[in-house]
Amino acid sequence: MRRAPWVLAGTVAGLVGLLSFRSSPQKVTLSTLPATTASSASGTATTASAPGAAAGPAAPTTSASAGGVRSATGPSVNYFYGVLSVKVTTSGNHISKITIASLQDGAYAYSHYVDSVSLPMLIKQAMAAQSANIQGVSGASYTSAGFAQSLHGALSALKVS
Amino acid sequence: MSAAQHRRVEVMGTIVTLDLYGEGLEDVADTLAAAAAATLREVDRVFSTYRPDSAISRLRRGALSLGEAPPEVVTVLDACREAHRLSGGWFDPWALPGGVDPTGYVKGWAAGRALEDLRHPRVRGALVNAAGDLASFGDLDGAPFRIGVVRPDAPATLAAVVELTGALATSGTGEQVGHLVDPTTGAPGVRAASATVTGPDPGLCDALATALAVGGDEVLERLARLEGYEGLIIEPGGALRATPGFPFAPATPLSR
Repeated sequence: MRRAPWVLAGTVAGLVGLLSFRSSPQKVTLSTLPATTASSASGTATTASAPGAAAGPAAPTTSASAGGVRSATGPSVNYFYGVLSVKVTTSGNHISKITIASLQDGAYAYSHYVDSVSLPMLIKQAMAAQSANIQGVSGASYTSAGFAQSLHGALSALKVS
Repeated sequence: MSAAQHRRVEVMGTIVTLDLYGEGLEDVADTLAAAAAATLREVDRVFSTYRPDSAISRLRRGALSLGEAPPEVVTVLDACREAHRLSGGWFDPWALPGGVDPTGYVKGWAAGRALEDLRHPRVRGALVNAAGDLASFGDLDGAPFRIGVVRPDAPATLAAVVELTGALATSGTGEQVGHLVDPTTGAPGVRAASATVTGPDPGLCDALATALAVGGDEVLERLARLEGYEGLIIEPGGALRATPGFPFAPATPLSR
């Protein structure tokens, strides 16, 4: 019996390590992660100066509106079963919304299964971690590397700190 | 209030996060993280069962003898034997098809190795999260790190929050049915939906979490008697069973 790669056999990637929470009950600070090694998530911010401004398909894009609500789409990242990108919206230093901006997962039935189950979980987990004042998460296994990488790119583009 | 520095390393088919807490870390974080990343890549190079040229792959197919293997292979296999004993046989890298596979120990062990690279006088606390296998030292402004354990039946929510001292590992099936093997039968088998072990040794936590997921209450009872280690089982329905000393974090107000 062939075993699956570590990315699946392991436990959940510390994607919530992307989010840093200070212990003060008054203040939550969200820190970005300089990508020291993941070149495709280098967070080279491309500020969309106008609607329709051209942006490279793999580069994060950002937008801002009144009230400190900003959003950015992380780079398109190859993950085990396809290519995805993550869009994150922040209000001040809080993440208010995370969505999957794009997803091409090929024609594999298992890939669709993984995506339909794990991506919503990853989104909710990242949100839950923000409100639980924790420094990390441990739990069930799924493919999260691509998600984390694109989320990181989006956060870097927003320069949330 | 400590400032934090975060780095991440893509290695072992996943992402490992490195979190450093302390003052004035801006100019040392990159150097420390680079050393930790190099350690993780070296572990992957030696122990990945997905690299045909790794020492462990060559050992598994008989192309390398234990005497010729790098010394850390001997160290890890010795530790696996000890984990096998402490788990009552429920952790058994020799029961897996295809030859000895210490993967169930190595990821936690790798997190612990990487953690040692983060030691520096200005680093007051550090956390390595290797896809759910966590290793730590120190604290966050005098308070222990808090780690959420995800509910396997509802992964959007946390089943528990743990005050971390040392290491923590969670094992479970998720959607990867069958990646845990019951060594008594050789067949895929899981008795807990999710199993978490805390203790001082990250590799042993990793191995014992695997054992706890497969062995259930029998392993939980062994953990209750094992000095320094605690275990938590989350049942498929979401119910929790834990050793008496399991370090559940007290409820605290949310940060907003």
